[in-house]
Amino acid sequence: MRDVLKSNFHWVTLFALVFLVGLVDKNFWDIASLLILIGDFVPLFIMALGLTFAIYIGGIDLSTQSMANMVTVIAALYLTSLGFLIVPLCILIGACLGGLSGFITTRFLVPSFISTLAIGGVCYSLAQWLSGNRALYMDSEKRNQLFGWLLDSTGIAPNALFVGAFVFVLMLFIERKTLLGRQLKAVGSAELAAVASGIKVQQIKIMAFAISGGLAALAGVLFSIKLSGGAPSIANGFLLPAIVAVLVGGTPLTGGVGGVVNTLVGAMIVTVIRSSMLYLEVAATHQQMVFGLVLIAAIVFTIDRSKLTIVK
Amino acid sequence: MLKNLDIKTFMPAIVLLTLIIFFTALNPNFASMRNFARIAIAASPFLMVAIGVTFIIIMGSIDLSMEGSVSLTAVIFCFALVYFGGSVASTGWIAVPIALLCGALYGALNGFIHARLLIPSFMSSLAMGFVGIGATVLLTGGGIVRINDDIFRSLLTYRIQGFPLMVYLAGFFLCVGIFIQKKTVLGRHLYAIGGAEDLAKASGVPILQTRVLAFALAGFYYALGGMLQVAKLGQAESVTGANLMFLSITAAVVGGVALWGAIGGVINALIGVLIVAVINNGMVVIGLPDFIQDGVLGVLVIIAVILSTNRSSVRFVK
Amino acid sequence: MLEFENISKSFGPVRALNNINFNVAKGEIVGLVGENGAGKSTLMKILFGSYLADSGSIRIDGKSIQFASPRDAMANGIGMVFQEQSLIPNLTVMENLFLGREAEFTHFGIIDKSRMAASARYQLAKVRLDVDPLTVTSELSFPQRQLVELAKVLTLEEETEGDLVILLDEPTSVLSEEEVELLFDIVNKLRSRAAFIFVSHRLDEVVTLSDRIYVLKDGSIVDEVTRETAEIPMIQSKMVGREIDTEYYKQDLKKPFDETTSVLSLKDISLVGLLHHVSFDVHAGEVVCLVGTEGSGREAILRTVFGILMPSSGTLQYNDHPAIKIKSPYDAVAHNIGYMPRERKVEGIFMSMSVAENMTSSQMQRYSYYGLLKKQAEKELAEAWIDRLSIKTQSSHTDCSRLSGGNQQKVVLAKWRSSGAKLMMLDHPTRGLDIGAKQDVYEMIRNMAADGLGLVVVPDTFEEAIGLAHKVIVMKDGRVSEEFDCDQQDVRPLDLIAAMT
Repeated sequence: MRDVLKSNFHWVTLFALVFLVGLVDKNFWDIASLLILIGDFVPLFIMALGLTFAIYIGGIDLSTQSMANMVTVIAALYLTSLGFLIVPLCILIGACLGGLSGFITTRFLVPSFISTLAIGGVCYSLAQWLSGNRALYMDSEKRNQLFGWLLDSTGIAPNALFVGAFVFVLMLFIERKTLLGRQLKAVGSAELAAVASGIKVQQIKIMAFAISGGLAALAGVLFSIKLSGGAPSIANGFLLPAIVAVLVGGTPLTGGVGGVVNTLVGAMIVTVIRSSMLYLEVAATHQQMVFGLVLIAAIVFTIDRSKLTIVK
Repeated sequence: MLKNLDIKTFMPAIVLLTLIIFFTALNPNFASMRNFARIAIAASPFLMVAIGVTFIIIMGSIDLSMEGSVSLTAVIFCFALVYFGGSVASTGWIAVPIALLCGALYGALNGFIHARLLIPSFMSSLAMGFVGIGATVLLTGGGIVRINDDIFRSLLTYRIQGFPLMVYLAGFFLCVGIFIQKKTVLGRHLYAIGGAEDLAKASGVPILQTRVLAFALAGFYYALGGMLQVAKLGQAESVTGANLMFLSITAAVVGGVALWGAIGGVINALIGVLIVAVINNGMVVIGLPDFIQDGVLGVLVIIAVILSTNRSSVRFVK
Repeated sequence: MLEFENISKSFGPVRALNNINFNVAKGEIVGLVGENGAGKSTLMKILFGSYLADSGSIRIDGKSIQFASPRDAMANGIGMVFQEQSLIPNLTVMENLFLGREAEFTHFGIIDKSRMAASARYQLAKVRLDVDPLTVTSELSFPQRQLVELAKVLTLEEETEGDLVILLDEPTSVLSEEEVELLFDIVNKLRSRAAFIFVSHRLDEVVTLSDRIYVLKDGSIVDEVTRETAEIPMIQSKMVGREIDTEYYKQDLKKPFDETTSVLSLKDISLVGLLHHVSFDVHAGEVVCLVGTEGSGREAILRTVFGILMPSSGTLQYNDHPAIKIKSPYDAVAHNIGYMPRERKVEGIFMSMSVAENMTSSQMQRYSYYGLLKKQAEKELAEAWIDRLSIKTQSSHTDCSRLSGGNQQKVVLAKWRSSGAKLMMLDHPTRGLDIGAKQDVYEMIRNMAADGLGLVVVPDTFEEAIGLAHKVIVMKDGRVSEEFDCDQQDVRPLDLIAAMT
């Protein structure tokens, strides 16, 4: 019974939260507005999805924010010339940079938080350099032409939701049905056993970071479309909620359990927390603190102590 | 093997020297007293933070909370100064120990959460950093706090031999840091824990206390850094500590402090800070835009870690 | 001076120590010998305060004592020189000597270095070690570090009132002959300050140094001999004792193997610090058992063959193909080599993955089609093997954490068998399993041999080795001590012990 509760902890939390907030303000339970709220957080969700893979294999990716920032700048600059191609291009850039982080981490034994932090620094510099350190405006005509549908709704559901759903299903497919997903699971679950089974652990880890980078880039593209522009600091303040989404959803820092579905629930929890703070008129100033504290609590409750012999 | 070690230990100093020569060659103005003073001013608050985090890294842990810690203590300092009379010459001086105490307490809390709840230090300190920034925004309401005390600002304005007082102050605390590292039990225990924690524990080194104390010490130095920033800028806000996490860790690593602990010390932090400050200043002097800095530093820190990692002793990296 | 009376200790259903009576007099050197698993380390851990005895009493100078922790033991004058050195390499000698006790030299948290150095020199003089206390420990040689460890333990002298009892746990494994002589010389000279308990598998050394020797077997003291009456062969026979139940191990079920097909050939394999010029062959259908004490190199051999460790010299030949070079576990698996590590829970099996997932974990490519998993095929494979090996599990997608140890081992074996392994390395395959599960594993090993696989097994006991193997190789201190052909001769546990010690 206890196991069942533990593995469904995130669902329980989500429903409890929605219920509680709704009690305070009945408007919160209005489906239509809920969906709009969720739609706003699709980029965050996508970023968290990418992070899930990095955390799942036992690492962390602190570059996602800077990566997304850089991509907003690139998108704003090159939309006119490259049109729709900008999307796959940015994802590719993100994946390559992520893969580079992974390479540095696995090949040179640099802890992932340093390698991703450093790559993040490089992204930050690139973003500032490309943008001349100012906010850029996207070609609104081109943007409406190619991506206007993103900002629309179909019925009560914002179209952004469908994008989010699509990415989610894709990642779920990778996780559950592909060789790569199985290998990731093996590496995350018991890295030593994976080595002893002849799995190429280094390669798998690099892939995980590449996925993280690619999705962070996609999130960046979505940001820039939504805001119709790009700047080196647009995505600031998203790293923390993204990490919280992954951890609260039930993928612990130690990795090996959890996954994409957990992050979905975790992202919804984060969304509820954020929007409930808006509804309850909690000042933006408090929100960071709340998230920091939630993060600490989430870690304490989810971490697998048996995997850590010495905590440094 | 020993010879290899010798070159490695002097590498950072050689790099520093090379950089100075390089920039001077490109622009002789680089090597002027005024410019060195500029470098020293930029480096001073930053050196304090780097020393603080060095103590943590020696122990084998990491501290990512400095952005929140520095901003918070800087803001607390400003508020306290204004509240207690507005000037360090009068009762306002009490703002200094208040800020230092707050820094130490915040650090102790940071260390406690990590050591007692067994959360890996990078996560707990990252979270505490966010909490700190949040708390700062809370206190300032998102705005900027200014101080109006010429006496305190004299740290920046009053110069001896071309270098402002704050540089000497930073130098003093540098010496204190070296003293702590080399001559105290705490310093010794930091190296023991960093060298082999389980063995240290078996020998009776109090792990929990040492950890908390180390983080408190780091917090103290972050507060120092925060106050020097206020001296430099005359104000404090939630972004006072911005980018410091990346910069200070880069400085420590580039200066020769090994990430997995037990190697390097305060002097390495000093050299690393000077390298970063020289690069930053040098790039401006030769006309490069300063936002390239982060990218360059990112590359630098990776190279530094790669070169210094003793692969045989590091079995598992996450 | 030190007395153990009726000490017993159990770990769950396993009786590790059974009414041990043991004493050490002032200034005496007492040896403690026994094979793996006899209870030596448990006894030492109780003495040193790491474990608490279930029953019985420990008395020092007549007073009954209970140690709650190693610090308690140290406060009572019991010190241990560890097998794995306990000095922190980046600290100086004096820092290591007084680690945790700096308070004696400090004033308000500041260390008085000159006073500490002087004190260090005094301590080092006790063991006649002439090094500068300010030397960094990693710069000392092994024997020098051993002496610093001894000196560190001797610092307890100033702490306690009574006499010291010092435990030496396999202190000579890394020392050369001259260094061993030096160590013994110093230990002898220290008799006036301490009594020693000397644990070692090298019987010749134990007999040389000790005044009295206790022989431990299966958790009980089976003999106590004095220096005058001690004879190595006799001690060895006491260590081993029982007759093998050939019925139990079904020795006669061993099938002959093809001597012409070599699956694995080690020639002169050396690995710094672990292996020295190891050579032996394994043929298709042959079971080779590696026997030896902890640290004798058995595990290192398995890991070298599997590509986890790289030998510093020598050649490894697989299947008589000189071209095959194994540089990583990936290569090993690609060349049909399987490995069942000792630490099953951490290295052998994926606890949070299902039976089916585990079974395909070393051949994932085969069960995927352009990146897509062939789950149906995987399920069929798993079900076939569950049936074939009678694995008790609810279904093929049950998590392996829910299976019993024996069934987990079956899953691991099935994993390698199904992937077509031709050479299997098994490290302690029956560790922690009950009798029935052990029998199952033996049967699987015999079946694999009958199917033409070559097997290298590190067994838990001599009986297992003799029962299963066509060839038993005895390892001692990283070298092959002796090779026994079980077909040619009747191998007895005594023969093995003789080669091991």
